[in-house]
Amino acid sequence: MGDLISVLTDNLDEFLTGFWVTFRLVAFSFVIAMVVGTLVAALRIAPSAWLQRLGGVYVETFRNIPLLVLLFISFAGLRRAGVAIGPWEAGIASLGLYTAAYVAEALRSGIFSVSKGQIEAALSLGYTYRQTLRRVVFPQAFRTVISPLGSLIIAMIKNSAIIGVSLLALGDLLKTARVIGSRGFQNDEAFFWAALGYLLLTGAATVTVRALENRYAIRR
Amino acid sequence: MNYLFNPDNWEWLITGNNLRFILEGLAVNLEIAIIAMVLSLLVGLALALLRLVRLTPVSVVAGVWVDVWRNLPLIFIILYLALSMPGSWRNAYEDAIPGWFPEGLQSGRVLAAILGLVLYNSAVLAEIMRAGILSLDRGQSEAARALGMSYRQSMRLVVLPQGLRRMVPATVSQLITLNKDTTLVSIVAIQEVMRHGRIVTGFNFFGGVTAPVLQVFVFIGLLFIAINLTLSRLSRRLEVRERRRTAGVKPVREVAEQAA
Repeated sequence: MGDLISVLTDNLDEFLTGFWVTFRLVAFSFVIAMVVGTLVAALRIAPSAWLQRLGGVYVETFRNIPLLVLLFISFAGLRRAGVAIGPWEAGIASLGLYTAAYVAEALRSGIFSVSKGQIEAALSLGYTYRQTLRRVVFPQAFRTVISPLGSLIIAMIKNSAIIGVSLLALGDLLKTARVIGSRGFQNDEAFFWAALGYLLLTGAATVTVRALENRYAIRR
Repeated sequence: MNYLFNPDNWEWLITGNNLRFILEGLAVNLEIAIIAMVLSLLVGLALALLRLVRLTPVSVVAGVWVDVWRNLPLIFIILYLALSMPGSWRNAYEDAIPGWFPEGLQSGRVLAAILGLVLYNSAVLAEIMRAGILSLDRGQSEAARALGMSYRQSMRLVVLPQGLRRMVPATVSQLITLNKDTTLVSIVAIQEVMRHGRIVTGFNFFGGVTAPVLQVFVFIGLLFIAINLTLSRLSRRLEVRERRRTAGVKPVREVAEQAA
């Protein structure tokens, strides 16, 4: 038990750095995932069959490829091909583009959850197309999308660990635990604290999403 | 783009045994995936049922178990198990595994990989199944009990068939995720497709043609996309057939209204 505490207190700085790296990986990737995901969702509901197909190809590609393969392609693969890309950029881009496919699907089903009658009603009441989107479709779509987006953030927190242990070797929480654990033959203790760090992040995300859901829930 | 599609950079694929070597690696992934899928579904169902038991201590313990494993990164679990699993477990696995099992699964490291995959995925699947069971109208189980069925009968004959069928899409997408996640076991030095890919790129493996990293892993990615797309198409077709099969069954409310 004393060991358990001392592993944390002796290596607190390293653990905090690792935690911070994981946090930043998730935050940056989430921004990319949201931006690209929104664009792809827009493609998928665009009034052109070709654009829809393009969006569909994006989603099916990035949803069905393992993240580890993406990391190999974007880091080792591109570097060997002569593209100067750093571990940070490759890691964030891979996790962001991977999650964007799921974000696009969540947004699309959110928009489709607003019934067509509502849009027709808004238009017939004299709303313009933009007003209809802003006042009728988006507020309702946003509510249905909160919970899937929440699960995607949690998935991103977990997936960020793949970046640290794969060839990118960024010093995230898992990597830190591994280094500390093997340095002093204290794997169990080091992994325990890292697990706590991950549960803290996923737990905080869960609580936040639940609070948002309650705040914006549609009262029926 | 020119670099990517330049035929010279793809020559490795048709040279020597490269293609076969990669596919052999992929076979190990698929074997691990199938074992982990079967075990995760069984354990997941057990966990979901335990969480729904009305005996509070049991459901609380099952709930904490599920929430912990499902919120940890899978790669974290696999790495930890591989680093800290007692050697005796590994030996016991190597002794116990029947000789006719594929060669890729004979190594003791596979135990940590499969255990990690099952711990994580059974927790996720348990949550999916529980949601499916809870989404069912309470009247279903109440009616079953009112007809004199025991708790077990009502679960087996009424609640589970309907509740689980509802969650087929979510379950399939989790199984696809599991399939992708088998690449993570390369971290614990199991010779599967990622490792084989790296070996092919590492030096002039078979045939003396250089295999660029980019092309090799784009190819491996395409293999996964093909497999996972087939999986999801298959499940969608099953779903449609299933819906057609059950379409003739009238909802209870309709029958009741006609009878009244």
